[in-house]
Amino acid sequence: MSETINQAARKGFLVDTSRCIGCRSCQVACKQWNKLEADKTSNKGTFENPRDLTPALYNRIKFIEKDTAGEVTWRFFNERCMHCGDAGCMKVCPSPGALFRTKDGIVGFNKEKCISCKYCVSACPFNIPRYGSDDKVSKCNLCLDRIAGGLTPACAKACPTEALKYGMRNDIISKAKGAKKTIYGEDALNGLGVAYALEGPPEQYGLPANPSIPMSIFLWKDVIKPLGILGFWGSIGAMLLHYVTIGPKKVDDDLNVKENGHE
Amino acid sequence: MSDYVERFRTSERILHWVVTCSFFTLLLTGLGLFSKLFHGYFGLFGGGQNAIMIHKISGVIFFFSSLYMFFNHKKDVSSFDDGDWVWIRKYGGYLTRYGNHFDIGKYNPGQKMFAVFIAAATVALGVTGLFIWFPAFFPRWIVQLSLLFHSLMFIGSIMFVVVHVYLATIGNPGTIEAMLYGDVRKLWARKHHPKWYKEMTGENR
Repeated sequence: MSETINQAARKGFLVDTSRCIGCRSCQVACKQWNKLEADKTSNKGTFENPRDLTPALYNRIKFIEKDTAGEVTWRFFNERCMHCGDAGCMKVCPSPGALFRTKDGIVGFNKEKCISCKYCVSACPFNIPRYGSDDKVSKCNLCLDRIAGGLTPACAKACPTEALKYGMRNDIISKAKGAKKTIYGEDALNGLGVAYALEGPPEQYGLPANPSIPMSIFLWKDVIKPLGILGFWGSIGAMLLHYVTIGPKKVDDDLNVKENGHE
Repeated sequence: MSDYVERFRTSERILHWVVTCSFFTLLLTGLGLFSKLFHGYFGLFGGGQNAIMIHKISGVIFFFSSLYMFFNHKKDVSSFDDGDWVWIRKYGGYLTRYGNHFDIGKYNPGQKMFAVFIAAATVALGVTGLFIWFPAFFPRWIVQLSLLFHSLMFIGSIMFVVVHVYLATIGNPGTIEAMLYGDVRKLWARKHHPKWYKEMTGENR
């Protein structure tokens, strides 16, 4: 079952993609604060770099180039953990404390408690968690150490255009709605801690229109798990009931059985 | 003349207990992975990471030993004869106190279905287990479905095993001896597997 979360206390981002200029200060600031190694990349004929999140890259700018009738539109999307209110990763994580929720509603991680099962990779609706050579989970933790100290997360601090707007989740979302922005992730998954004001349909950014925890993960955790536990104890109960009602088939009974030889 | 007849050879019994041990190792190491409710079972193995490692090792042992066991018995478990259908219609006599007698060979239909189910589950658990073991090398939807089917086949297996253990121990006294010492009492064989008894001894009860 999903955890309860205090919506009023949630802190997060409102990412206004129309303000993003693709400078990638957020990527650099994140690496610096979180002491993440540089990733080796290669030129693939686009300004996008790196091409994917890595264990040492908690957020990145996705460059979406679109050629419509000779006119090229360029869109930038800040890809990262969205700190879902109902987080698939936390739902499947079998090691308490490896993924945890702070009082600010942030989904943090603790490598020392991670047992390398990688279930979070499969359960994330946005394919965010990465495993490195240490075989431990890594992803954006919204600089929860900075937030605990009253600071703004490194990426938002470095963002020169306020495309990454940090604050109390309810405030920044209602402000954006006041400015007639369409919000992605206001209610989905019990509210995304990182909500977006997009310039087009979510599919254009490679986002699911209606993000949800994968069906197979839901069936595993919310259907098979409870029914399975019931079925296990039910089968034990049925066997005990059989033993005390109908009873065992004793071989010795046959010695004094009258009608032999047919059913 | 001996009161006993041989049911399982030493090699068959050893194989069965290898499968048993690996199954229960998989169960105990896997419980904590199935749900956070069973996180305490990781403690038996010195933490979750060790439990996962032991789960993988015993998984490989279970996969091959269980399939090997199935192929050993394949010809005895893969078809039903007339006596089997009577057994099925009367639920093997398990729903009545009165002694039913069925014309049953070495295995009854319940045992046959158990053997086939466990073989199928072994394949399913093995294949999905491999996807879960190396999630980075397979598309996400395959790993997601694998997590679902791995848990589903686990539940099916454990419920069948509960029934199997009951019927092979207190449910049918005398049965466990077949898997412990290899020999069963002739009286037992005549009651539970008359057709097989006849094949083995040439005696007609």
